[in-house]
Amino acid sequence: MTPPAPRNARLLWLALPGVGVLAAFFALPLASVLAEAAKGDALARLFAAPEFLDALLASLWLGARAAALSLVVGIGVAAHLATVSPRLRAALQVLIALPLTFSGLIVAYGFILLLGRAGFLTLLLEKLGADPAAIAGAFYGPLGLVLAYSYYLTPRVVLMLLPVFLNFDPRQMQAAESLGAPRWRAWVEIVLPQVAPTFLAAFCLVAAVAVGAYGTALALVGTQLNILPLRLYSLISDAGADFPLASAVSVLLLAVCSAIMAVAEIAAARSEDAHVRH
Amino acid sequence: MSIAISGLEFRYSGSGAGVSGIDLDVPPGAFCAVIGPSGCGKTTLLQLVAGFLRPAAGRIALSGVDVADVPPKDRNVGVVFQNYALFPHMTALENVAYPLKLRGVPAAERRARAGEALEKAHLSAFAERRPGQLSGGQQQRVALARALVFRPRALLLDEPLSALDAAHRAAMRDEIRAVQREHGIATLHVTHDQEEALSIADMVAVMEGGKLLQLAPPRELYDRPVNRFVAGFVGHANLFDARVAGGMLETPVGPLATRDPLPPEGAAVTVLVRPEALEPISEAHVAEAVAKDDGALVLMGSVTRDRFLGSLRRFDLAVRGGTILGETSSQAPIVGVRVPPGAVRVLPPEA
Repeated sequence: MTPPAPRNARLLWLALPGVGVLAAFFALPLASVLAEAAKGDALARLFAAPEFLDALLASLWLGARAAALSLVVGIGVAAHLATVSPRLRAALQVLIALPLTFSGLIVAYGFILLLGRAGFLTLLLEKLGADPAAIAGAFYGPLGLVLAYSYYLTPRVVLMLLPVFLNFDPRQMQAAESLGAPRWRAWVEIVLPQVAPTFLAAFCLVAAVAVGAYGTALALVGTQLNILPLRLYSLISDAGADFPLASAVSVLLLAVCSAIMAVAEIAAARSEDAHVRH
Repeated sequence: MSIAISGLEFRYSGSGAGVSGIDLDVPPGAFCAVIGPSGCGKTTLLQLVAGFLRPAAGRIALSGVDVADVPPKDRNVGVVFQNYALFPHMTALENVAYPLKLRGVPAAERRARAGEALEKAHLSAFAERRPGQLSGGQQQRVALARALVFRPRALLLDEPLSALDAAHRAAMRDEIRAVQREHGIATLHVTHDQEEALSIADMVAVMEGGKLLQLAPPRELYDRPVNRFVAGFVGHANLFDARVAGGMLETPVGPLATRDPLPPEGAAVTVLVRPEALEPISEAHVAEAVAKDDGALVLMGSVTRDRFLGSLRRFDLAVRGGTILGETSSQAPIVGVRVPPGAVRVLPPEA
């Protein structure tokens, strides 16, 4: 049934443009960043400066919080979507996916209009007796970033989790109950083990995105917040740019995000495995 | 180990469908099949007994204990679902051991008991496999073992054979019956397959539109259906509208004599003639078929459809006044049928 070899060879040429683009815009820049990072003592300087370690930890903490919030909201939304009619679900999915098309800058601007010093919600809360300065102060910091990140990460979580909820057979819950399981045990022993790998995969995926994101952060808090992407931004934008150090930070950021993504991939593969077997 | 249902009422909010006035007793060890077209309420009935739905009125007693207010987890009822509902992340052994785990049986003992249950189901070799790695029939056996391993008070089967292919279905049917007998457990078996119901059950309940139409042993259900619907749903049937006139039943195909007690003169009734009770007339035997004097109505006609079913042949015979469905094992050309009085059943008048 295999097509003749010459045809296969000819088809291979079709891959050429893709390979070319990949080489020009991915492999080449990556190689030059790696080469730059290896130059001189950039890596040594990176690990000698405590503020970079702080930035890394702050980034991870920010990513974890944003991912956790997105996951909690996303689980609720996906679980509900699975119960509505297919037509309504399709309509809602379009709405939910909309934030995916916004640039981080637009998201930041929207949040400033909502929760900034003169934001709609801020003014509303002021009427209820809240201190606008305190709200804005909290908003123009990690807390605001967690909110803004969750805004565009939640749709990703929903899109990842929806198939899991749709595929889950509710009769398993009935089966568990008929066998004598209290509801909480059915959730913990029957539902959770089946959905947990996908939850973990979704968490890691959006955490990696949050750790690497910088557009929203730059627009909301400027460069004074010590997180890795903003460190990187100031290294290449300030006067007297330090390109070797910037490359070293890039490599660190890349390594961290790749490691998180690897966990996500392994978890996703596991849940897929379980589904295929189902 | 009995199921006693009386005056059971349930309505789905919204559609208004449900069940009403259900009285049904399954004595200890008896196997009761519930049949009916889709939407007749048979699955609703099963869900009510399992406790997944709460009745609006009526009583459900398992082994004499009223379970109206008992949640499903405490009812001690084994349920086998249509799609088996095995837990995909557990092995066959873990699936069967799960109800024991829930009952606090120590790990070693539950492994032993679950292993024993799998061995009885000829599945020892598959104990460590997950449901996705088992065939439909194997999953079915695991589901059955899981539903019985904790010695439930009743067994509920929700179309457990519908997902199997025809070849496995007959074998699995016998296996379910054998396991049920061995456990001596009252069983409610919901199915839309009337042949399956007749062959497996001690008693068959026919439902339609949320009501229980008839509860009877298979033979009685087939021979003495209470109305047109049951007669048509259980087995094949020739049904005629008839009027009693001069000691005969006037039907569109002609006057029929019967051995059943005749309703009063002029009454409108429904007449049932099972296809296998007809006597087909082959070309070579026309003269003697007409000459025989036993009160039978002789109908001559032509075969419009002829279905070969292996051991059996089912044919449509177009006669004056209608079409007759007949069955025979003979392969000779058929030109008519005789309708002997013994084949003619008068259905009770419908309320």
